[in-house]
Amino acid sequence: MQTHHTQEVTLSVQAELRFLPVATWFVEKSAIAFGMEEPEALSLMLATEELFAYLCRVNASGHLLMRCRSGGYYVEQEFVFHADYFNMKAFNITTVPDLDEQGGIDETGLLIASRMVDRFQLFEEDGGLRLVLTKEKAYPESAEIVIPLAMPLKEFVVKVPGPEELKFFVHLVNHHYAPQVVPLSFNFPGKVADMAACGACCAAIAVDVAGRIGGGIVWRWEGSKLVEFYGPYLFNQSRESGMAEALVDRCLSATARTKAIGLINRYPTAELPIEYFEPLGSLTSRMEDGSELAFSAYFRHLEEDLGSTVWAHSLIENFLVDQYRRLFFAREIRQVRDEGESGSPFSVLSAEFDRSAGRVTLHPIWWGKDSRETLSAYVDTLRNEGLAGIFFEMDVGTSWQCRFAPALLQTGFEPRLVIPHAGTGDIVVFQHTTGKSVP
Amino acid sequence: MSAWSLEKLLPDYIKRFEAYIPSRPDAELMKMYGCSRLYRLNNNENPLGPPRAAQEVLRRFPPPRASVYPSGDVYYLRHRLAEKFGKHPDQFLVGNGANEVISFVIKAFCEQGDNIITADKTFAVYEWVAEFSGFIAKLVPLKDNGFDEEGMLDRIDERTKIAFVCNPNNPTGTYWNRDKLRRFLDRIDGRLVVVVDEAYCEFVESEDFPDCMNLIEEYPNLVLFRTFSKMYALAGLRIGYLAGGREIVDAIRRTCIVYSVNVLAQEAAVAAVGDEDHLVRTRKLVREGKAFLKDELTRLKLPFITGEGNYLMIKIPMSDTLAYRKLMTHGIMVRTMTGFRFPNHIRITVSHLDVMEAFVEALGKTLG
Repeated sequence: MQTHHTQEVTLSVQAELRFLPVATWFVEKSAIAFGMEEPEALSLMLATEELFAYLCRVNASGHLLMRCRSGGYYVEQEFVFHADYFNMKAFNITTVPDLDEQGGIDETGLLIASRMVDRFQLFEEDGGLRLVLTKEKAYPESAEIVIPLAMPLKEFVVKVPGPEELKFFVHLVNHHYAPQVVPLSFNFPGKVADMAACGACCAAIAVDVAGRIGGGIVWRWEGSKLVEFYGPYLFNQSRESGMAEALVDRCLSATARTKAIGLINRYPTAELPIEYFEPLGSLTSRMEDGSELAFSAYFRHLEEDLGSTVWAHSLIENFLVDQYRRLFFAREIRQVRDEGESGSPFSVLSAEFDRSAGRVTLHPIWWGKDSRETLSAYVDTLRNEGLAGIFFEMDVGTSWQCRFAPALLQTGFEPRLVIPHAGTGDIVVFQHTTGKSVP
Repeated sequence: MSAWSLEKLLPDYIKRFEAYIPSRPDAELMKMYGCSRLYRLNNNENPLGPPRAAQEVLRRFPPPRASVYPSGDVYYLRHRLAEKFGKHPDQFLVGNGANEVISFVIKAFCEQGDNIITADKTFAVYEWVAEFSGFIAKLVPLKDNGFDEEGMLDRIDERTKIAFVCNPNNPTGTYWNRDKLRRFLDRIDGRLVVVVDEAYCEFVESEDFPDCMNLIEEYPNLVLFRTFSKMYALAGLRIGYLAGGREIVDAIRRTCIVYSVNVLAQEAAVAAVGDEDHLVRTRKLVREGKAFLKDELTRLKLPFITGEGNYLMIKIPMSDTLAYRKLMTHGIMVRTMTGFRFPNHIRITVSHLDVMEAFVEALGKTLG
């Protein structure tokens, strides 16, 4: 099941300062109505305030459409607007505004807005821009609980857990498995329960007649066509029990007749029945003792491949040709070339952190001629924050994203694997491989 | 800027639904996968082609007649079917393939809050049409690869309007025999419509297979589906039909789209009905092809599921979708079964022996 925005409120307003209180009131009250606590609602409201004020300055008397939506465990604020100039550069976490200039002061507002929320996305649509700010609800971290000794189950059935069973399953997973193979959300059992309730993630557990949990699997939608799953997690169950296969079968049955085209497990457990899947390549994670461990990412296509066209910069074309040949995917590769056309002076990236596993994934929001400098600054900042695993996901179904290829290779990234159908087209995952970025 | 929002206009049950994307034309597929020939073993088509008389109709069709609308209610075919089966012509409704008649029945009997019931691992179109029409599809797990009579009866409620039974089942080839189907109909006792989809009935050689054409006289809530796409090899023309008692067919006719069946399909189907020689030749081909496949799969130590019908399902030690792509590079197109909820299985259409040999050779290379 995919997340449904069951609740949405809309405000149509002129981007004029006199309407600023209307816009901020709209967002704050909507967020609270959607069940968000005051501190988080205030953060979203402050982000809106800064963004609205900025739009008033650069887009006087323009029209603005605001949609506030509840996603169960988060609230999403969307802005649809036309702007002659919109300085997205401030959304880079590496940006340091110059307060001696008016542009720098404007930039500060956007910078504040981007830091007040958990995620942002920017889309160019119908000649305008659509900016989405997402703020998650706050949840308490997973508390220490007494974990019973795991015993092999003589018989089991696979079922969908209730909310309390799901939270207990989360505790069991956190107890038995390293954080590298556990989704970030498992730090917050209550969040997982909320995510399951609104369909943002799904789970299945194997239980015996006494209700003892022997294992489980969890999956969530990653975009509109890919389902990412974690596990299967088994708590002292033998390989011969067939539990891992039963859990994977449940996940497959639940996703096979949905919109999903593929199923991926980037950080599989040792119990994954690999004959169900295709190895895509490997990603490296740093373990608690400082050693590095390569995790093979496994994929399963849920449909018969119809073939498609992808874009590629010449620097990664050979990599793509090799991967598609190895995976037997029919792809027509079209080259993206810089032929002197003008472009944006700056690039924008968003960063998705998984600090417990020491990982961060960069997503391109906008390509600009400073892509190398931007990437380099990101790498330095993230390394300084102690993040060992730095990834970059490029959607080769979107031509402009391929223009990051030279800058990625120059700053120490290398392409590691291709995830078919994970975005508009396939996604190439790059991992940063050197200790320092190239200046 | 406009306030246009597709999200607001689309019903939730359509938002949840994904459009089915059919495979590309052969020439495009061959170019993409770099193969010089393509054997389509994915759609259970009859490799012998249409019966001779139907082929003659197609050859002699005068092109200027394409400017004239076809018979809106497929008059001559309904009369031909009535003659063959000893029925009244109004006991038949013809559609643009059997898929269209599924839609007629669901539209006729379901309203908001209603549900249909069928198996979880069967022809998917009953489930799809129900869901994109806003109705719930209750899916009962197969039992021993066959429709589970008790499981279906247990899950029927007061809002269940139609039970779909695929007989023989696609893709497992299992079937309900005369006694089992009659027992099910007796226990339903007219509470809901029972649809028996007999798309593959002409391939069946077992003697205890039920004769639904006779049962429709006895059970007024029974509807049967048949198609000209499989045994009669008119899949490219799209024509199928339903049959039932006069009362129930009259009710379904209210939702029937007239003029949806083209003139070539109508005339070819009239010519095809009752060509016993075609049936005998096809059954022989299927029998021999299946025997060959069973021997070869046993030799390769690959488990398979087969029964009635011109298809066979194989369990392979790898992802079926990966096997599909690998087989495509050898010019063999199979049906993956993940979508049928049989992960790591592929379904093969039984064809000529030389094609079956090519398939086995490609499968060996695919499994390495």
